[in-house]
Amino acid sequence: MNIIIQNLRKNFGEKVAVNIESFKINSGEILGLVGNNGAGKSTLFRLILDLIKADEGTVHMMDNTRDINVAETEEWKDWTGAYVDDSFLIDYLTPDEYFQFIARISGKEPEELQEFLDKFKHFMADEILGQKKFIRNLSAGNKQKVGIMAAMLLQPQILILDEPFNFLDPSSQSAIKHLLKKYNEETNATILVSSHNLQHTVDICPRIALLEHGIIIRDIDNKEGQAQAELEDYFQVTD
Amino acid sequence: MNKYQLYRLLRKNENLKERRHPMFDKNRFMKFLLIFMWLYYAAILIFMGVTMAIGMKGAYNGVAAHHVLDGWFPIVLIVDFWVRFIMQDTPVNQAKPYTLLPIRRSFLMHVYLIRSGFSLGNLYWGFMLVPFGLIAIAVPFGWITFIGWLFGWWLLCIANGFSYLYVRTLLTKHMAWLILPIIIHGAILAAMILPEHNWLDMPCTVLLNAFANWKILFILAVIAVIAILYYANFLLQNSMVYNEIGKKEEVEVKNTAKMSYLNRYGQIGEYMKLEVRMKTRNKTPKMQFVMGIGFMLFFSLMMYFTDAYSGGFMKSFICLYNYIFLGVTTLIGIMCHEGNYIDGLMSRRESIYQLLRAKFYFNSFLLIIPPIIMLPLMISGKMSVWMNLGYLFFTVGVLYPILFQLAVYNKDTFPLNQKLTGKQGNATQQIISMVILFLPIGIEKLATLLLGDPWGYILLMSAGIIGVVTHKLWLKNIYQRFMVRRYTNMEGFRASRNS
Repeated sequence: MNIIIQNLRKNFGEKVAVNIESFKINSGEILGLVGNNGAGKSTLFRLILDLIKADEGTVHMMDNTRDINVAETEEWKDWTGAYVDDSFLIDYLTPDEYFQFIARISGKEPEELQEFLDKFKHFMADEILGQKKFIRNLSAGNKQKVGIMAAMLLQPQILILDEPFNFLDPSSQSAIKHLLKKYNEETNATILVSSHNLQHTVDICPRIALLEHGIIIRDIDNKEGQAQAELEDYFQVTD
Repeated sequence: MNKYQLYRLLRKNENLKERRHPMFDKNRFMKFLLIFMWLYYAAILIFMGVTMAIGMKGAYNGVAAHHVLDGWFPIVLIVDFWVRFIMQDTPVNQAKPYTLLPIRRSFLMHVYLIRSGFSLGNLYWGFMLVPFGLIAIAVPFGWITFIGWLFGWWLLCIANGFSYLYVRTLLTKHMAWLILPIIIHGAILAAMILPEHNWLDMPCTVLLNAFANWKILFILAVIAVIAILYYANFLLQNSMVYNEIGKKEEVEVKNTAKMSYLNRYGQIGEYMKLEVRMKTRNKTPKMQFVMGIGFMLFFSLMMYFTDAYSGGFMKSFICLYNYIFLGVTTLIGIMCHEGNYIDGLMSRRESIYQLLRAKFYFNSFLLIIPPIIMLPLMISGKMSVWMNLGYLFFTVGVLYPILFQLAVYNKDTFPLNQKLTGKQGNATQQIISMVILFLPIGIEKLATLLLGDPWGYILLMSAGIIGVVTHKLWLKNIYQRFMVRRYTNMEGFRASRNS
């Protein structure tokens, strides 16, 4: 599923949050979105997910048979999974209940849910399922895991994750990288990931968009991992 | 910075907090409505003060009007106590942002307790008492008596305010403390209403008469009570500050009922489970539910055991109130609790529509409670079955659709697990709640007048049944209008979350 952004503009007062003339994210691509704080990464995700109103422009999800403007219909929600922040979580449920809820409203059978959860066993590290804890009582890292898993639960064709490596311990960061890559290979899903972690972004994203003041200033080919130096230079992280 | 400068700074911050509340920051109309409601209630109190002063004059065997009012003053204080849950925050909450700054904790507590004591809220009853006193005391007994009497009321309101703060703070430890004011107020009301003559009439009259006559010992005694309550609050609030900061919810979940009987209803069943869990696992909705049942029981018992509400209007009012109370308290803020996870809901197709349907079914199911509570009244003949049926169906089929309209317009997130004070409804919500409390009674009385008994209730029932039968249509309409306004609402929910 392609994502086509055209003349997309969003201002908060005088501040330009997003200003993208034209940008296409190809089907099956893993796109990394990087930029400093306030560059507009989360706002762009929220615009793609129709959670805020664009001042101008459109976001389309498109394949050979469909062309959908996200602001005009809800159809795309059937094949899009996202986790931006904890306002996506119903925190008075236990993780088990939350996954069951998402599975059932998405029409998944209990066996399918179990199969899905089994795949994430290592990622959850015995700290999420069967804990008799509400999501609100989980650590920030475990909440993050629940959010990411819930986004992936309906096996979306488009997966959007805002800073998925935040709060995670190193082994979970590594695990989520592998899970995302594997998921992309198996399903050919389009995946959008924003992160401040350049290393992880370079590791998993063959294409990286660099955002500054709401504008995509560089569209970097990273198939061979060549974006590392360019990004380090931009963010001035070299010693 | 000396203590006075610090006091002024804290006071300035509190004023800014109120002025910059997200609810008003972006909504001038809301600010206007709030001022309007404030003036509206003030006008009602003035009206009550004037009419009582005139109505009571000489009506009770030559007893002075203010002695009649004085004899019932605990009722005013009880109302004042419960209204404070909507309006007044505790010092321990107000002091929270400053606890890690280099300011003495005890100083913070004194600042906020003194502010509570001298709060303008303690003068609000003045809208009723001043006109009443001007007519009933100042004119016949002189200004000095009037001012003394008014001063006495003010002191009692301050004492009441500190009592409230004490109970309110205890409630943050455990909800069971709510029983304390319920028992005390219940006992006071019982002593006033159940006997043939109000048992508290004499002591209450003597006390306020002593103020009116400037009896210094009585005044000092009440000031001493205030001082004791102040100090008790100081000790309690001071000890609670770190509890509040480090407060952690009991982690082990006890209630994990699977509610698999709802599985057969598919998606709706899942949203109904969500609704049940929301109500049972979060303090604010749970408290609303408990208070609702408490009020229902109280009024029904009063009606059963006394003749206090035997008038036609009061019967109708209490019957309707019992049916609509739970709906008003929960649906007036419909979607406001969901504001906490609105992004998650909006990422699922038609989830809001399914949620609205689940809410309708769940709230309709809850209406099984009022007839059970009022069954003894129906059996004893104090309340008719027709009245119950009329209001039951009217609530589900007409009043619920009115309340559900707020799903389109509500855009303030209510905290799920915080204090009861603060975001408990804006002026629009209050106006709608007032309308639905009186609209059905008006319709029923008019229909009964024109058509005779029980046609008024049959009319209410018929209107209600139409609403029930067409519920999918009007819920869909609400959902579609919600979707048109979704950006505005989501922005509002985000802006008011955690504030």
